[in-house]
Amino acid sequence: MKLVEGSLDKSYIVESIDGGCMAKDRLWKLGIIPGVVIKIKRRAPLKGPLMLEVNGSDVVIGRGIASRINIKEIE
Amino acid sequence: MKTIALVGQPNCGKSTLFNQLAGYKSLSANFPGATVEYTKGQTYIGEEIAEVIDLPGTYSLSWYDDAEKETVRALFSEHIDVIVNILDASTLVRSIELTIELMSLEKPLVVALNMMDEALRKGIYINVKKLEDILGVRVVPIIAKKGKGIKDLLEAIKTAKKPLKRCVYSKEVEKYINKLKECIENNNLSGEWPPKLMAIKAIEGFEPCMEPLENSTCRAPLKEARYALRDGLVIVQERHALCMDIFEKVAVVKKKEKKSLETILDSILLHPFFGYISMFLIFFSIFYVVFHGGVPIENLIIGAFDKIDAFLNSTLTSHKLILAITRGVVDGVGAAFGIAFPYLLPFLFLISLLEDVGYLPRIGFLLDSTMHKMGLHGTSIIPFVSGYGCSVPAIMTTRILKSRKEKIISAFLASLVPCSARTTVIMGLVGYFIGYGYAILLYGINIVVIMVSGMVLKKLLPGISPEMALDIPPYRLPTIKTLLLKTWHKVKDFIFLAVPMLIAGSVVLTLITYYHLDSTINGVFKPFMALLGLPSSIAVVLIFGILKKELTLLMLYQALGLTSLSQIPKVLTPEQMFVFTIFVIFYIPCIATIAAIKKEIGLKATSYITVGTFTLATLLALLFKVLLHSVWF
Repeated sequence: MKLVEGSLDKSYIVESIDGGCMAKDRLWKLGIIPGVVIKIKRRAPLKGPLMLEVNGSDVVIGRGIASRINIKEIE
Repeated sequence: MKTIALVGQPNCGKSTLFNQLAGYKSLSANFPGATVEYTKGQTYIGEEIAEVIDLPGTYSLSWYDDAEKETVRALFSEHIDVIVNILDASTLVRSIELTIELMSLEKPLVVALNMMDEALRKGIYINVKKLEDILGVRVVPIIAKKGKGIKDLLEAIKTAKKPLKRCVYSKEVEKYINKLKECIENNNLSGEWPPKLMAIKAIEGFEPCMEPLENSTCRAPLKEARYALRDGLVIVQERHALCMDIFEKVAVVKKKEKKSLETILDSILLHPFFGYISMFLIFFSIFYVVFHGGVPIENLIIGAFDKIDAFLNSTLTSHKLILAITRGVVDGVGAAFGIAFPYLLPFLFLISLLEDVGYLPRIGFLLDSTMHKMGLHGTSIIPFVSGYGCSVPAIMTTRILKSRKEKIISAFLASLVPCSARTTVIMGLVGYFIGYGYAILLYGINIVVIMVSGMVLKKLLPGISPEMALDIPPYRLPTIKTLLLKTWHKVKDFIFLAVPMLIAGSVVLTLITYYHLDSTINGVFKPFMALLGLPSSIAVVLIFGILKKELTLLMLYQALGLTSLSQIPKVLTPEQMFVFTIFVIFYIPCIATIAAIKKEIGLKATSYITVGTFTLATLLALLFKVLLHSVWF
């Protein structure tokens, strides 16, 4: 499942980040690394960015980037 | 003199620390050949004076935008003696990642562990001594906002040493890194990068580090390492695990329950509906305070300068030319102070407040989608909103934007927003003589033109606008001292930039009148004015308008040979007034704005903007001339 398809207020595990994602390095630095648990906190209206909780901090990423992040649900 | 560079991730309190160290006597400067700005100042370390450089915040040494790139390049340069790495103690895990990268630069390094109070509030207790031992770097706990720990930090800077430790990855990973590093060293490919760091970044897939290796003998070890380490993911995960491990060793977390104030605030301010309402109310109140609070102060200043004018008129009667020039200078200074103190000071103070409280990145979140269509980010709304006051500070706020493309687009669009001077023309001419409905229509047209121009510029300009990826800081209460210092830096910039322009403008104006050059100017522009269907005597008014926009209204009736403003409808048709106002809104920015644009994005882009706005204004004026002709008559 892609991160954009995830539902609000739910936690997921980051599985992988698609190749060719310009922001890959930045995502890593923000703590969005395969294996890490993230929570979708908010979505801005009109296809705006997503706000995630990573490691106790709030992180905002654009929807284009979010559609290149693969996640899986926590059992 | 020692040079100290302050480096840290965004929102770590770097600028606050800088203000504590260097105070109000700091200067902003541009990186050579770049439009990215940094601040520098001086501080005493014991008896010795040292230069302090406040570099733009960066998450890591592999950059994502222009500002981060300049930070990294500055760190590589020879003349930095000590690096002070500021960490936000409340987000320690992420902060240490940058520290580990900085260690590989092998320069004297001190870690300033900032926001110890906030960490405590979050229930995080950090053992500083232990952190120091693990990192092999001196760590000083500070609370920059309150000025705590600064003395110890200065002491640590004085005796700063190169990091003691080096290898941080597992044997298997180090094997691949070292193999590539040796190849880079043997072939002299590293350029300004430390070879090991370059190897790591290349394996992680960072373009600027991979590219020099592409067509060399190092291509094979790079390919091998990237394959074995899963395109660098293994390194990243190991580093992250290392940071987590360090955190667990040095910190104890006692969970504090209860719904925090932040959650409540965010649920309103970031709400899909109420968030926008709050945003509107916040900006509305800022404008209300600035414009209503500013008027009496402005009148006071104008009154004072009018007295000086009257005094000059009575004393210098025999020297007409000297009188003209002196009056020009006095008027220019008066105009500058009339804008700077009543409007700019409170406005910039309030914008700094929004920034430091942590509201600006949240607006970015709300508006990102709309702004993205114009090649911009949510944060670019600030130059636009500021533009309704005065274009000069609006252009100055484009400094907070990261990429050059975004800066050029924002500067162009912000200069199109009708500032308070152009508002007097819209209201005084179209509003008063044709109807206020038409004035509001003009504002609507203006917004549409700005959005369309943004979309066109996004397509035309080279470069991609990277998507938003940043962390949102918690709400923080800034200190008055920090806010005042920040405001002061910005007002100082305005004074240095705008005052000479306004003075020069006023002097030129008085000289044109003194030597009766009006008719010559009108003659030259006659064909152009005829094209727009306007009387040729208005040309000189438009030239004066470049110096100061409000003059386009104040001088209009004189230029038309009338005795007062109220007689304008006798000479100009409503159609002509409308076309004239459209032209005034969009044509060439005023001279102080041009100077500001030049400072932010350079001469070449400024000339494009100047020509671009002139073309845009001409086309729109023609379009409305034709449109109105078929509708009105």
